[in-house]
Amino acid sequence: MTITSASANPSSAFRFPLPRIHPRLRLPLAIVAIVLVAPFAVPPLLGIDPNAMSVLERFAGPSLAHPLGLDEFGRDRLARVLIGAQASLRVAVISALISCTIGSLIGLFGAYFRGLAGFLSTKTADVVLCFPPILLALLVVTLMGPGTTTLIWVLSIIYFPAFARIVYLEASRVSQLDYVVAAKALGARPRRVMFRTMLPNISGPIIVQLSLTAAAAIVTESGLSYLGLGVVPPDPSWGQMIRGARAYMERDPLGIIIPCVAISLTIYSVNLLTDRLRDVLDPKGLSGGIPILSPRRPKVQAAPQSATLEADTVLRIDHLDVATNTNGTPIKLIEDVNLRVRRGRCTALVGESGSGKSLTASSVMGLLPRGVNVTAGDIMLRSHNGETIQVTTLSGEDLEAIRGRDAAMIFQEPMTALNPVYRVGDQLIEAAKIHRSVSSAQAREEGIEFLKRVGVNDPVRRFDSFPHMLSGGLRQRVMIAMALSMQPGLLLADEPTTALDVTVQAEIIDLLIALKNSAGAPGILFISHDLGVVAQLADEIAVMYAGRVVEQGPAATVLGNARHPYTRALLQSMPAAHEELHASRSDTLPSIGGTPPLPHERPAGCAFRDRCPHAVSVCAEVRPDLTSVDGPDHLAACHLTRGSAV
Amino acid sequence: MLHSAISRLASALSMLFVVATLVFAIQVVIPGDPAELLLSSAGSTPTPENIAALRVEMGLDRPLLQQYVEFLWGAVRLDFGNSLIDNSSIGQTIATRLPRTLELIAVAMSIAVAVAVPFGTHAALRAGGRLDTAGSGVSALFAAVPVFVIGTLLILLFAQTLKLTPAGGYADFGSAPIQHLSNLVLPAITVAMSIFPIIFRMTRSSVLDSLSNEWVRTALAKGLPRRAVVRRHVLRNALGPVVTVIGLQLGILLGSTVLVEFVFNWPGLSGYLVTAVEQRDYPTVRAIILVVAAIFIFINLLIELLQMKLDPRVQL
Amino acid sequence: MIEQYNLLEVEKLSLGFGGGNGLLRSQPAMILRDVSFTIGQGEIIGLVGESGSGKSTIGKAVLKLLKAQEGRIRFDGVDISDLSEHDMRPLRREMQIVFQDPYSSLDPRQTVRGILSDALDIHRLHTGTAREPRLVELLDMVGLRREFLDRYPHEFSGGQRQRIGIARAMSVEPRLIVADEPVSALDVSIQAQVINLIARLRDQTGVSVLFISHDLSVVRFISDRIIVLYLGKIMEVGPADLVHHAPLHPYSKALVSAEPRLDQKSSRIRLTGDIPSPLKPPSGCVFRTRCPFALPACAEGVPELREVAPGRSKACIRDDIDMETAA
Ligand SMILES: Nc1ncnc2c1ncn2[C@@H]1O[C@H](COP(=O)(O)OP(=O)(O)OP(=O)(O)O)[C@@H](O)[C@H]1O
Ligand code: SF4
Ligand code: SF4
Ligand SMILES: [Mg+2]
Repeated sequence: MTITSASANPSSAFRFPLPRIHPRLRLPLAIVAIVLVAPFAVPPLLGIDPNAMSVLERFAGPSLAHPLGLDEFGRDRLARVLIGAQASLRVAVISALISCTIGSLIGLFGAYFRGLAGFLSTKTADVVLCFPPILLALLVVTLMGPGTTTLIWVLSIIYFPAFARIVYLEASRVSQLDYVVAAKALGARPRRVMFRTMLPNISGPIIVQLSLTAAAAIVTESGLSYLGLGVVPPDPSWGQMIRGARAYMERDPLGIIIPCVAISLTIYSVNLLTDRLRDVLDPKGLSGGIPILSPRRPKVQAAPQSATLEADTVLRIDHLDVATNTNGTPIKLIEDVNLRVRRGRCTALVGESGSGKSLTASSVMGLLPRGVNVTAGDIMLRSHNGETIQVTTLSGEDLEAIRGRDAAMIFQEPMTALNPVYRVGDQLIEAAKIHRSVSSAQAREEGIEFLKRVGVNDPVRRFDSFPHMLSGGLRQRVMIAMALSMQPGLLLADEPTTALDVTVQAEIIDLLIALKNSAGAPGILFISHDLGVVAQLADEIAVMYAGRVVEQGPAATVLGNARHPYTRALLQSMPAAHEELHASRSDTLPSIGGTPPLPHERPAGCAFRDRCPHAVSVCAEVRPDLTSVDGPDHLAACHLTRGSAV
Repeated sequence: MLHSAISRLASALSMLFVVATLVFAIQVVIPGDPAELLLSSAGSTPTPENIAALRVEMGLDRPLLQQYVEFLWGAVRLDFGNSLIDNSSIGQTIATRLPRTLELIAVAMSIAVAVAVPFGTHAALRAGGRLDTAGSGVSALFAAVPVFVIGTLLILLFAQTLKLTPAGGYADFGSAPIQHLSNLVLPAITVAMSIFPIIFRMTRSSVLDSLSNEWVRTALAKGLPRRAVVRRHVLRNALGPVVTVIGLQLGILLGSTVLVEFVFNWPGLSGYLVTAVEQRDYPTVRAIILVVAAIFIFINLLIELLQMKLDPRVQL
Repeated sequence: MIEQYNLLEVEKLSLGFGGGNGLLRSQPAMILRDVSFTIGQGEIIGLVGESGSGKSTIGKAVLKLLKAQEGRIRFDGVDISDLSEHDMRPLRREMQIVFQDPYSSLDPRQTVRGILSDALDIHRLHTGTAREPRLVELLDMVGLRREFLDRYPHEFSGGQRQRIGIARAMSVEPRLIVADEPVSALDVSIQAQVINLIARLRDQTGVSVLFISHDLSVVRFISDRIIVLYLGKIMEVGPADLVHHAPLHPYSKALVSAEPRLDQKSSRIRLTGDIPSPLKPPSGCVFRTRCPFALPACAEGVPELREVAPGRSKACIRDDIDMETAA
């Protein structure tokens, strides 16, 4: 439920394109405004005449009266370059606007009505895009003769297809979204759906394209004018000025440099605006998504605790804190988590979305997202030769050595966890080939053996399939085979069944149960939000809420005799726990009000207190520690469980 | 695979047909009579008799359908008729000039790809680092300067001021290889600079996108060394969009080299085209444009087929 | 709940996608085959099935957001199967939809006020001074505070967004709501709130609900009757409690026993193999490839959905399976 963070909703950043200008856009917008206005405002202000010649002063250098000097006819260069801008800008802006309007309409209609309109709008664009832009322009100029009007038409024709295509794609994407379907379901007329619902939501890409097109139009206009086929004399334009100055290049390099710089600065400023617009519209572009390939992990304070793991334990996490530091102030995402996974046993980590389950698992693998770090605590892992490894002190290469071999991981989305361009078998044995340098033939044989072991029918054929040919359940089996293939001591399973159908989920759970009971089984850290799933697999359960473990103990105890109000509420709100209730008898399901707090707004005291039916005044002030209840193994973090039962 | 390759080929051919029709139709649709335009470009006001005579010569008096069929049939045989200006065979002139343009494009593209792809990759892998900032700065700079301005400035610097290279011109490779190459350097670099930003940016963003794929996390989680992850699970998947953009640029270059050839007096298709446009020699213009569009469509077809090889999911 | 009156009647609905596209013409892939059911006034019907079984497609076809190839849909006695979009418009007020994804179901550029007002504007309801009280009333109805009116969707949690979506649907006072997995994207603790809300709205307004979900235990709680769907075919229809406790069809039984439960029963029917692609369903009984009770005869004819007990139907040729001992 982390919706209010800006990153969770990319479109929110660009809600008010005009009234509230994003800080990153202010500078480029100001520059572009100057570039657009100056050519029209400055010449009358200065009162200089671009056509006044003083032949005696040809090629005069810069002076107070003529800051940029005089050209080959003794005309003021500053005036010329500004007047030249007028022609270029007028052509570029008008044609960009025309092509934007035409293209957007075509794209929008095409995407809404599909069928013939859609076909035409995409195909027109395809056909026009077959001509390199300059050539298309030349074709039209041949027939219509050069001139400003021709140019505007030419440029509009050249650039509208790109608009049509982009608007078509964006509008098609948006028209699949539920809120557009909702508008149709409400009976809104096509005009309303297109212009009131769809258009505002694709305005971002349109604005970006508009500014791109304006820049491109300036380039093309100047190119044509340079060839003598664009704006014709006596209207000056930058392209023409460069063309004219070429003849005097040796004598007067300044004459050619000035318009070159003018053009380039103008385009640069428009490009800058475009780039910033893109960044603002798509915040992901700034951070580049979640590249996990952080060059080197910042080392945690060396924790030379020479502690070793108990003999039956493959993973122990002690007092783990994980924090992010994106906006300067560190925010704790995980606080004081303690966990233990025993060999051949399953520890389950349960909690709602955002409670910190995945981050806990990622910490073990050293795969935390960029900007998120372990700030305190120890993670001790059993290596394949029996030693105890302090994961938090490892750097890049040492981490690579333990991943896959000592701790393997499977993920929630089997659809995206496999690389679509390689055969599944090749991905399955990839790590083995690198780490153990076995021959390809032998690795293949082993791989097929592992596929068989995780219950893949026809493993030889599956081995050579591409991921997209397999169903979700099969892919998850492949992932499990991949994880087991290096015989790790620890298997981290992050919601491995959540994306699967119930019947397939049941099969995968059975597979994991069988795995747990097999000889040499790894310890499993199983992450899930579903207590029903956990009940079938787990030997021990830790319940997380808002980054902390609130209750922990043997599975049967936690499920059967939950003591923390949150755990109880979770168990209570499962419809499966209330077979005696039915809505038609006006029963209601027991439910918890409110939502979990976001990491940066976690309150002092107990994080659950706003939703807790038993909260007392001390809950707001003192954060309850995990303390044992009933027996030494059963821990809960609640003020009420210390003394009497809740 | 074969099936979808054939259907792509068919759609490319039909596109070519549409383009040819369009090139023919523009002349009919756009107001103004090509014959009249041709004559008036000379300066004098043409008499109706002159116009009529030229119309006969250009075949404009014949029924539209006949003109159209003859045009198409000619195009299929690569026979585009003769120039209105000097009556030379258009097809032949194209055949001598086109290879020079293609040479320029090939050399320029090789330079651009050789620099921009590794540069973009490293920039993405260390996003926000120094190399990234430098690359983005350079590409913003190059992107802001129109290609003929780059050319002009390079001439000013290397030819006029430093006198390292010729300012322009052409020599036959067979008779004067050194001369040929030294003439090629500046125009090739100019073109390469103009496409550098596009390839650099596409490579960078494609690698960044690829980095955030979940299978990268899988690859890391199974303990592949960083280098293997980058090579096999990041770069390999980032290739597709880069290849597409290279193909698209090849096509666009066929047009924008017009300017570069003009700046450097490189006698490719462009000089021919610009003269033809100035003189309103419509048959020549449309022949050149048709040839270029055909090459463009063909390149795109190749790219699509390549994409099918690169990504097993892309079928039909 | 006894239904005297069928608000919605769906008869032999068949719907497919694709086909007739470009050069390479192909058979449309049939997603729904011969689907028939009714929804009574004020009734909540649960529609369960696994991914790709066509649950959402049924929902959209009922609302005529998708065009069915064959079959009849009658709403309130009126055959709407062949109505044009234009003629549908006044009827749209009577049937509304609630979506699964709380993130994409609300226009990110409109405030709650805008979203709800749009709905009212389209049908010119509560105009002028009557608007504000109505908006407040709608928020009240779904348990949101009136201060929320001028906030944007991204300022809300998933559960709250879902409430806004429900308010939008209820704003035009519909008589039927298609709720397409309305709680699947929500955390358990929030899920119960939304389920209770939908049940309460039905009690208060008498709206009928087609409640789509893949979670049998949710559907058992909220619905009066359950329809079990597999690969575009109805497998079983019956009263919710009965279908859940004593399923008649092997597939329903498998679904029930696959449900992850706290008190793990040892008896389970385990399906093996994957769900076949809806594009190439098996011949005969579509469940045949995964059915533990399949006979050679199951491959021959498509089993009819037939009434086997009062109010209970199934599409299986076998009547001799003892579910309890088989399990
Ligand atoms: N890269 C990141 N930068 C900042 N905060 C993050 C980052 N990744 C996760 N968080 C925050 O850390 C908290 C815990 O996230 P985590 O992914 O571990 O939750 P989870 O329990 O796995 O949830 P889910 O059930 O949705 O997978 C959340 O509040 C989340 O918003
Ligand atoms: S500490 Fe207080 S608020 Fe927290 S769970 Fe216990 S009783 Fe509730
Ligand atoms: S008809 Fe046959 S295959 Fe289908 S459910 Fe009944 S027994 Fe199984
Ligand atoms: Mg998670």
